[in-house]
Amino acid sequence: MSSLDLTGGEVGATCSAEPGCITCGDVAVVLSVETVEGSDARCRDEQGREELVATELVGPVQPGDRVLVHAGVAIERVDVAENLERRSPQMGE
Amino acid sequence: MKFVDEFRDADLAAMLGREITALCEPGRHYKIMEVCGGHTHTIYRYGVQDHLPEDIELVHGPGCPVCVIPMGRVDDGIAIAERDGVILTCFGDMMRVPGGRGSFLDANARGADIRMVYSPLDALRIARQNPDKQVVFYAIGFETTAPSTALTVLRAAAEGIENFSVFCSHVTIIPAIKAILDSPDLRLDAFLGPGHVSTVIGCRPYEWISRDFKMPLVCAGFEPLDLLQSVYMIMKQFSEGRAEVENQYGRVVQYDGNPVALKVLADVFTLRPFFEWRGLGSIAHSALQLSPKYAKYDAELRYDLPGVRVADPKACQCGEVLKGVLKPWECKVFGTACTPETPIGTCMVSSEGACAAYYNFGQYAKQRLSLEVLQ
Repeated sequence: MSSLDLTGGEVGATCSAEPGCITCGDVAVVLSVETVEGSDARCRDEQGREELVATELVGPVQPGDRVLVHAGVAIERVDVAENLERRSPQMGE
Repeated sequence: MKFVDEFRDADLAAMLGREITALCEPGRHYKIMEVCGGHTHTIYRYGVQDHLPEDIELVHGPGCPVCVIPMGRVDDGIAIAERDGVILTCFGDMMRVPGGRGSFLDANARGADIRMVYSPLDALRIARQNPDKQVVFYAIGFETTAPSTALTVLRAAAEGIENFSVFCSHVTIIPAIKAILDSPDLRLDAFLGPGHVSTVIGCRPYEWISRDFKMPLVCAGFEPLDLLQSVYMIMKQFSEGRAEVENQYGRVVQYDGNPVALKVLADVFTLRPFFEWRGLGSIAHSALQLSPKYAKYDAELRYDLPGVRVADPKACQCGEVLKGVLKPWECKVFGTACTPETPIGTCMVSSEGACAAYYNFGQYAKQRLSLEVLQ
């Protein structure tokens, strides 16, 4: 796979006008897949708001999957339960 | 609310605050930079600093994409928008960023057609709906946002849409961190890594920070407990004499990032030799432009642009704020001449900008009061 060097070439790695603009703030939201429409998925948040999301970057999705969405594009799948399990023992140390 | 309340639990926050305090070495002052503007927003919205001991200072970094756009590139956007038959589209926060010839909102008032979109895919939809117009997307953002632009270009190419192009000001985070570490103005002890950028690039690109600078970096989520746990993980490293890259945001961040997104980025973009960052100056290999394969979608090639470097207003100290050298309330015009309603500097425009976060969530009043008492 070709890669884009995002390290500045010097470090050894490859690799709304209203307050709260979701894109500019690097904010991403967790949505649940409701239906799949080709390369897009109709997704819903916890408040019931719907959004059509491009899913090419996370591979095939199916209803019930949870995805992290930024600027109308799913950029990763989400596993909240796994993280909550992992969180508890660390906090209690 | 499912999966949100768990990350905002006040009792857990208090417990974490106590554990963090217990890990502090007496007499030592810790400076931890949160790189991402989204973290800055959470810290002030939820009072995260209030749960930390005074020995731990959170320093704001350059990770607000709006805040680092130089004024000259705002003017370039306005020059495109003022052409006949052009619709310029951009994210919401860009509308109020001041350039040398005013903001996009000012340009709209003069008759330009600049529209706010939620996604670059919305800009492509506008292009489909307006075949007699040229639609330009003014692309900003770090590696979180760049894949969305890349995907949009790929869809435009696949559909053969010719009346769409991108004015690309996407930037990359690693060179900015390096510029900060090379700056003689600032001494840092650790970093809170940008969670959503890391979703795309992973954690590996930060390893040089712990290896070469012996500094911990923890990729952090955006809820209050995410940040407190990340500070706890940093303090744990200090207490155990470690300096490592760790991932607190494991529910979405894979250590090697999203390989599909990275592949799309590599296909659509190439690195610019240099890019000017507001406040940080020109940084090598720190921004993206469309690759030759997709040059016909590059608005900088499609249009003749002023491309003029515009100096920041003298009163504005956004540069020092972006580098973490100054706190927002230490700027001479903060809260007086410069407010969210009439921003002089970019840090006051976006709600993720450090100045706006201070201003909107009450830290301004508290800090200013302390200063007056001291004087």
